[in-house]
Amino acid sequence: MGPRWKGKGAEAKALADPMSEIVAQLQSSLLQSNACASLSGCSVLLAVETEQTELLTRACFGKPIITAEKEKQWFQLGLEEAFYLCYSLKCLKIAGEDNFVKNDLGLWLYMKLKKEKFPDFYRAYSHLRMKNWVLRPGLQYGVDFVAYRHHPSLVHSEYAVIVLSEGDTGRMRVWSDFHCTIRLCGSVAKTLLILNVDKHGHGAISPSCLERYSVEECTITRWSPEQSRDDKKASENGAKSSFDHGAGLPIVMA
Amino acid sequence: MDAEDDWKSSSGEVTDTDQINDEDFYSTSACLSKLQFRSDVSKAKWNVEMGMAEVIEKKGKMWIATGIVRNGKTFCLIEETLFLAEIGALLVMDDNDECLALKDIYKKISEETNGCSWELFEVYKHLKSLGYVVGRHGVPWSMKGVENNSKPCSSQGTIQNNRVEGVEENSITCAVQMLSNLQVDELRLNFDVYLPNSKFRKSSPGDPAFLLCLVRGSPPANAKSEVLERQCGGIPLKLCHVDHGRVSFFSFKRVELPILP
Repeated sequence: MGPRWKGKGAEAKALADPMSEIVAQLQSSLLQSNACASLSGCSVLLAVETEQTELLTRACFGKPIITAEKEKQWFQLGLEEAFYLCYSLKCLKIAGEDNFVKNDLGLWLYMKLKKEKFPDFYRAYSHLRMKNWVLRPGLQYGVDFVAYRHHPSLVHSEYAVIVLSEGDTGRMRVWSDFHCTIRLCGSVAKTLLILNVDKHGHGAISPSCLERYSVEECTITRWSPEQSRDDKKASENGAKSSFDHGAGLPIVMA
Repeated sequence: MDAEDDWKSSSGEVTDTDQINDEDFYSTSACLSKLQFRSDVSKAKWNVEMGMAEVIEKKGKMWIATGIVRNGKTFCLIEETLFLAEIGALLVMDDNDECLALKDIYKKISEETNGCSWELFEVYKHLKSLGYVVGRHGVPWSMKGVENNSKPCSSQGTIQNNRVEGVEENSITCAVQMLSNLQVDELRLNFDVYLPNSKFRKSSPGDPAFLLCLVRGSPPANAKSEVLERQCGGIPLKLCHVDHGRVSFFSFKRVELPILP
């Protein structure tokens, strides 16, 4: 389907302002300020200064919380986002309900407890984030994530992402699931991207297991024979003449 | 509909067609009236042993892309036979020169002993009706160029090629395969599909646009379609599924999203 940039100049703007650099700036800024967030249910709350507000927004992490507080801006991070900043980028500390900073393992266990599929989701999330794709929650499209080529203000999301892992028995197991998901993705001009997370038999005891998981990317599209007949290649061969009938009708070839 | 996104710029893969199909579904009479009167009727003789019909009188252009050629004779596989019989383009006779009724051919399909099931026939018919050239996977159109065809092929294809080659020596035996002993969720390549092309030549068909696999049960697990993909020798694979007479095609494509700046 290709990227759909939002207006003229959006693509050039994105090119001049690579996501990798924005995230690197965010990383160093959070490190410098020794940023510390706190767990709250399935979210992680973080208060930052003006500079970091801008960086979090540009890098597309979390969602700002509107408060009356003047000096600080509060952000609400999702589990994957927070763990990415903490575990992969090592620029955020996260405290538990007891106000003590949790170590990687403690955080991992907490998140697994809150979200059973966290290990798979995190592996998928970090897989695309590492490649500088922007990921946002995809629930409103009936998927796990949506993936953007750059900031959502510049480009529409290209992929609707579903995370699958071995032993997944519930999802995408019947044809109606495919029809349903692909139809929805098509109507919002996104391509369905399945991320298959393979644990290769390794469990999820600690975050170090993540290294052993692999991710495979697979797009699924519906193909319409009615709309693919007049392929360029076919018309070059002069194939049109005897096949000028409307779609789906029994044709007479003689 | 999402306000963020533009309906029209969607790939448009499904919407329009499906609406047309919806209408077709409920207006059988409209459909029927579109079959035109036909003066050119070809004739063929059903050979029970071979599970194919030997064409004895060819009329019309459809023979450009229908039937396999062996020893200068044209044979119709069961799906081709039924497709042409249904639209009144082919009279099918039995050994006693008695004309077979559609009912008899439907029965042959339902037995699934000639390498084609009803669902596979529906897929075949859907694509043929749109002008696509559809051949049974692993059964060459003609024996010309089979030797040149050195690209990797599926194992079942090779088996059938061998069979057909054997056929050349011992005149003609059976070039079809039993379906009935396949498990419901077992995947195999069913059809080679070429884009509509009035200059199609059986002696040099070229590479198909894609290979088609009918999935008879639930959507395949990852590993299963991988195995199938390896049998395709670089030609795109599509999976299809038939439900209540509605044929849907899906492309599963392994991709690697680029590393962005």
